[in-house]
Amino acid sequence: MRRLVVLLAISGAACTSSAFAATLGIASWHLWTGSQTLTKSSCTLTGTSVTTDTYADEAHAGDNSSANTMKVAPGAGSQQWTFVRFDLSSCNIPSTGGADTATLSLRITNAPSTDRTLTVTPVLSTWTGASLANFSGATSLTYGSATTTFTTGTSNNVTKSFPVTIDVDALIKSSTANYGWRITDGGSGTATTTIGSANNATAANRPQLQISYEN
Amino acid sequence: MTVLAKLLGLGLAVAAISAAWAAAASLPFGSNKLSSGSAAVTACTGLSSLSATRSVNNAGNVTQVSVGTIPAACAGETLSITLVGSGNASLGSSSGTVPAGGGAMSFSSFGATVAATSLLGYRFAVVGA
Repeated sequence: MRRLVVLLAISGAACTSSAFAATLGIASWHLWTGSQTLTKSSCTLTGTSVTTDTYADEAHAGDNSSANTMKVAPGAGSQQWTFVRFDLSSCNIPSTGGADTATLSLRITNAPSTDRTLTVTPVLSTWTGASLANFSGATSLTYGSATTTFTTGTSNNVTKSFPVTIDVDALIKSSTANYGWRITDGGSGTATTTIGSANNATAANRPQLQISYEN
Repeated sequence: MTVLAKLLGLGLAVAAISAAWAAAASLPFGSNKLSSGSAAVTACTGLSSLSATRSVNNAGNVTQVSVGTIPAACAGETLSITLVGSGNASLGSSSGTVPAGGGAMSFSSFGATVAATSLLGYRFAVVGA
């Protein structure tokens, strides 16, 4: 009996406290939750229909956009710069998407006799093979900060792949600014690196851009 | 003994009331008026969905996530975002206060490095008064 009295007293107190808590304005707080699901896809670009490439030769004027190969060489007065860009439109990536990874692959058909470090730099203004026929057309372009570098090695017919994710991500988000990349050799000497172009008869020698993206 | 038991019961009751009172007083919304326990918790006006876009570095890691189109009515509330990977696992999270006027918010620190390839979605929560 006594225990029952004690239990009733405690229960009464608990009910009172519950009633008090219910007077608080909890319902006036806001709460919203939601989610967003991303879809993953990939796209590979290669060949003349989606690739524009050429090289600018400081020592020899001329439109090289139809050549089977492109060249990269250092040295004041004899520099050769390669340019390559891809038309991303066939990938149908919405501007709300983004690149998870983007890998540019170039085939070195004729390697220099000594290992060279080449620099990949995004181009920020428009160009064509004709506009780069004179080297001044290349020097007058605007460029971003170097994206990456890669080494050539000394073996012929080797594909070099390197990430350009940050640039492709930006291209996806701003489809009007797709001017591709410049490949240069900032070292000294006269070593020339020859790279397969989109016009190359051998498909494996052509530049390729592989994109894994989300939307 | 009977008197002792009653006193003990009364003491416990007073203690329980005091504890409840103290707990309620410690809540941050102390002087707000009553809403019943069954009332629905609503979102800030105009908030029905959110979407995010992210930026990456050249290694493919997420550097920034931007959440757009947050209604002005959510200003001052806390937006939390969780980056979700496979199996609905959290890859990282961040939160911030919705600025006056709403609009967009950007987050650049998630407590961990998040590879964009692993990122499969986002979870959002907006909480506030």
